[in-house]
Amino acid sequence: MRRDHIKIAEHELIEGIRRKDRMAAEALYDMYSAAIFGVIIRVVQNQELAEDLLQDTFVKAWNSFNSYDASKGKLFTWISNIARNSAIDKLRSKDFRNHSNIDKIENNVYAIDEQQYVEINSDGMGVRELVEKLKPQDKVILDLIYFKGYTHVEVSDELHLPLGTVKTRLRSAINTLKSFFN
Amino acid sequence: MEDIKAYIESGILELYVLGNLTDAERHDVEDMCLKFPELSTEISQIENSLLQYSNVYGIEPPTSSRDKFLSSLNFEIQAEPLLEAEVINLPSREKSIRFYKYAFAASVALLLVSLFTIINLNKELKESKNEIIALQSSNQKFASQVNYIGKELQVNKKFLQVYQNPEEYKLVTLNGTPKAPEASMKVAFNKDKQEVLIDISSLNLPAPDANHQYQLWALVDGKPIDLGVFDYTSAQSGLTQMKSIGKVDAFAVTLEKKGGSKTPTLTELVVMGGA
Repeated sequence: MRRDHIKIAEHELIEGIRRKDRMAAEALYDMYSAAIFGVIIRVVQNQELAEDLLQDTFVKAWNSFNSYDASKGKLFTWISNIARNSAIDKLRSKDFRNHSNIDKIENNVYAIDEQQYVEINSDGMGVRELVEKLKPQDKVILDLIYFKGYTHVEVSDELHLPLGTVKTRLRSAINTLKSFFN
Repeated sequence: MEDIKAYIESGILELYVLGNLTDAERHDVEDMCLKFPELSTEISQIENSLLQYSNVYGIEPPTSSRDKFLSSLNFEIQAEPLLEAEVINLPSREKSIRFYKYAFAASVALLLVSLFTIINLNKELKESKNEIIALQSSNQKFASQVNYIGKELQVNKKFLQVYQNPEEYKLVTLNGTPKAPEASMKVAFNKDKQEVLIDISSLNLPAPDANHQYQLWALVDGKPIDLGVFDYTSAQSGLTQMKSIGKVDAFAVTLEKKGGSKTPTLTELVVMGGA
């Protein structure tokens, strides 16, 4: 099912999008759609809704590209934040969210991976290996924020942890990733 | 530098990348980045790590999503060549319409001329046919005339042959008997060819009724020999060939019943002459 994806350097991609070049649109989608879809579908837990949100995210990124400032961050960071915010807005508008049960939240974080979405997109590095490197107490915070769209304040409330601890564990998780990928 | 390290360790940069800061906090981070470039490097590393993490947990969307995305975008389209093509097309279309108008008119005119010509030709053809029929009938008339004249010529030649060769043809004149004193006729006789001919134009006999015919006899050694019957009308001419005979003493004609008799009726003897 996997196509030959177009991959170009980030600065070329940015120039292409500014020119409204079709090649750039294909590259943008091919380079980031899987990662973005992974974020969206974990937030909304609904395939159809996730597909709609993916469309919205990429079309919005393309049409309002003027508002992207390359000096303030990477293109992927910008798009992933658009995606996460749209997904959270969608959930809140439909009142999908339920903060009452912490166990339920933790289960939901990984529900999508326990169901049909087991395909792992990596360059020979398995998720299990990564999961083993991350401390569970760090990973849950990263995933709640990254894949569920929680703010660090919300995580602090839900997990009954001091805000500082949440921030430290988040940093610890990302440091592990840094050393893992670099 | 200790302050910067503490700033990094606080985890605010991760929250910045994850979009978890208020606008004020975010502006603070951006101001700090301008002052301390190493913060930008740190942020870049955090972004990279999260990008890699996202890729690991990435989920391929359905292929239809890609097409849907690409078809919903507006790419730069150059419209000028199309406009130019339109401008070129219009006059040529008008030209072709005008051409078809003329072509149609020409076709109608040609059709009318053709119809007129066909009617005329048909008329002429009929006239020609009538002329041919008339010519054929006159031709036939001429042919039969030529045929008739030819026959007459043949007869006249025979006359000449008979009258110009007295040594060949002996011309015998038969004179009227007391029964018909005015009657007379001529018979030509060729002894070698055993030919007997009556000159019809010389006949001067009383006209017989419808039930009787004149019969010619040859008298040989006192015996009458039948030479055949002949018709007589004043309009006829030419030579009539009778039955053959080689030796004749005299010729005689009697009026007999139609078809002739075996022996002559002597009381009806009309003309007679010695050969």
